[in-house]
Amino acid sequence: MDLVTVKGLSKRYGGIVALSEATFSACAGEVHALLGENGAGKSTFIQILSGAVQHDGGSILVDGQDYRPANPDAAQALGIAAVFQELSLIPDLSVEQNIWFRHEPRTLLRTVNRAEMRRKTLALLDKYSFPALRPDQELRRLTLAERQIVEIAKGLAKDPRILILDEATSALPAREAEWLLKLTRQLATEGRLVIFISHRMAEVRAIADRLTIFRNGSTVAAHEANAVSDNEIVTQMIGRHLDRLYPERVSTATDLIALRVSNLSSGSRLTGVDFALREGEVLGVGGLQGHGQRELFQALFGATRATGAIELWGKPTSIGNPRQALTGKDGIALVPEDRRGQGLLLTKSVRENLTLSVIRRFTENGLLSRQKEAALVKEMVDFLRIKAGTPEQLAGTLSGGNQQKVIFGKMLLTQARVLLLYDPTRGVDVGTKGEIFQLMRDLAAKGYAILFHSSDMPELVHVADRVLVMRNGRIAATLEGDRISEAGILRAAMLESEAA
Amino acid sequence: MSAFLARNRLIVLAYAGMLVLLLVTALFSPGFLSVSNMRSTVVLAAFVGIVALGQTFVIIGGGIDLSVPWVLNSAAIIMALLCGGQDLPLVWVMPLLLAGGAFIGLINGVGVARFGVPPIIMTLATNVILQGLILVLTGGSPTPSAPALIQFLSVGRIGGFPVIALIWLALTLVATLLLSKAAFGRHLYALGTSATVAEFSGVPTARTTILTYVISGLTAAFAGMLLTGYSGQAYLGMGDAYLFTSIAAVAIGGASILGGSGHYLGTVAGALVLTILTGLLPALNLSSGALLIVYGAVILLTVSIGSETFAGLGGKLRRRES
Repeated sequence: MDLVTVKGLSKRYGGIVALSEATFSACAGEVHALLGENGAGKSTFIQILSGAVQHDGGSILVDGQDYRPANPDAAQALGIAAVFQELSLIPDLSVEQNIWFRHEPRTLLRTVNRAEMRRKTLALLDKYSFPALRPDQELRRLTLAERQIVEIAKGLAKDPRILILDEATSALPAREAEWLLKLTRQLATEGRLVIFISHRMAEVRAIADRLTIFRNGSTVAAHEANAVSDNEIVTQMIGRHLDRLYPERVSTATDLIALRVSNLSSGSRLTGVDFALREGEVLGVGGLQGHGQRELFQALFGATRATGAIELWGKPTSIGNPRQALTGKDGIALVPEDRRGQGLLLTKSVRENLTLSVIRRFTENGLLSRQKEAALVKEMVDFLRIKAGTPEQLAGTLSGGNQQKVIFGKMLLTQARVLLLYDPTRGVDVGTKGEIFQLMRDLAAKGYAILFHSSDMPELVHVADRVLVMRNGRIAATLEGDRISEAGILRAAMLESEAA
Repeated sequence: MSAFLARNRLIVLAYAGMLVLLLVTALFSPGFLSVSNMRSTVVLAAFVGIVALGQTFVIIGGGIDLSVPWVLNSAAIIMALLCGGQDLPLVWVMPLLLAGGAFIGLINGVGVARFGVPPIIMTLATNVILQGLILVLTGGSPTPSAPALIQFLSVGRIGGFPVIALIWLALTLVATLLLSKAAFGRHLYALGTSATVAEFSGVPTARTTILTYVISGLTAAFAGMLLTGYSGQAYLGMGDAYLFTSIAAVAIGGASILGGSGHYLGTVAGALVLTILTGLLPALNLSSGALLIVYGAVILLTVSIGSETFAGLGGKLRRRES
């Protein structure tokens, strides 16, 4: 019998229909993938399942019982826990305090039983072979990937019958993502139901038994995973035929060096990096996470202190802060890692976000010209096909893909022609991913020079002209032509002896 | 029009609240709406409004300026001492003291933006240091009376309008241009919304922060000199009331105390609300202690109703219930 059966589920927010007539069924011991573009209704669906929001219509049966939790606590009491993309951890608490937050083991005096908490933490981490995590480490010292792993531990600590993983791999580097997939299978073997959301088709392929596809707030199909092709899935997700995710790789690189970096170092994370990026080139940066990619991008943008020499279009430059980086035709622009924390003013409009870096350009005698601003905003919204009701819509209410487009737009409005893209497709739906890759190619053809990091290795393999593989803060290898492959990147990233 | 209302809901709310308060006050104390009483209300509100101008910029940028009481007081006392009741020295004393106020703001701003001192600590420290300096300077003795010209600026009239109201109007225009029509305003709102995003977008965050404290130092010093003209002389402690009122005016005007939103046009309404309130409460025939209690409670309530924090919380609670 099915563990969960959903019929005719609907949810509205004011006049907006987030979910209508959704159906779903899954059994214990199964890994069930949810697929769909951002805004297709997956998030609303799992928010309802996890008790974060309540549905307006339809029914959910869990174990044959009517299920309508008033809040996440009630859902957890019924054995349903969720690990969300938006992290819910408290930076000032330790790893174990976060894992057991509000469910701490108690002594007879109702104080927290620290010894018991430590024992339970170690047992949990051991049982599921968690990657190295110290229970007493303060959370604020952890990387985004490590925090995501703590979040997963927190979900498992509830010992749920149903575990929902929302894009849990998107923040994880290759090795940890691999671990999570194994973990997911292990949970299914234990008789739990894992509901799994991912934008990476390969992962879905690797672990899902069944999958349900959402589009425009409804379910459009459910399949046995091995009975449907990638193409069919993508077509059902986007409702039209997408020719292919990756644009044709036509190298437009010239001999002109746009960015030359010599002996760039920053603390212990970045030690003596040299490379050159040419006009019209898309240069990938890969390797295991935490090997200096973040520091490299931030140092080039002036967001982290670094030593070494940087030349832009042949001219030696010193970049002390992002403002200097963005100035002028010889500038250098960054689409940052943390879309919500570094990229966007969530409570401000699309217009204000787009023009923030170049607002001085719209002033006449010190006063802003709204017409000039509006004209350029419209041009950029049309060019990038940003789906917003009006330019006055708040950036925080856009879908992930459209938020990312706004950040691209903000950077393209500066005159910088060297673009640093740090994981620009993270948490972005497949349709927008394709648009972003096409945009990168188009920009390269126009003479932009692009440095591109992705935590999703196939993207580097299919999009970049060359790939720099980083290891321990250095460039371990530069891959070109046929040598660009997932195996090639991994080998260079992990093996000390690989010749560059 | 509806878009304008939606965007400026809290400011519109502040003016609506002010009108209601005005009517209630008129009910309790007939004659409150008389021309002469309105005139004196606007004059008193102007002092709050001018101090709160700088405070508005600082708060929108995500900071707070607790040094306004003694920047104001220092300017008042030093002006009285240097002028000795004469008009002529004002020619150099006023620019000097405005520069002095700006300099204190510069110290505050550099401490916050360059050295990472929390705004509360930084500005509290300059406030206490200024207080100490003035006590040393005066030895606690009273100062000469204010020059006639300054008295004209604060209590004089031109064509029936209080001069200070005209000054306030001009300053309101300048503040509005800076916030709504200058690149600086855009940078300021971005800074207050998220300093990290602003930095990553190339906003000169340090310069913008410093400038807000400089503006606050300027307006506090200017208000100090005008207030000396109003009371006829400078005295110790004359700025103390303006710490609370300058912040409350900004909050009642709809700005988030955490930064990133608000407008000086809202603060203007806030300054008027606070002043009308001080006119209403005596009419209720309460003891002075009870008066302060009611004053504080009413401000707390007004700020809570207007503030976005409260609106957000209310929304959250409603969602829980449904």
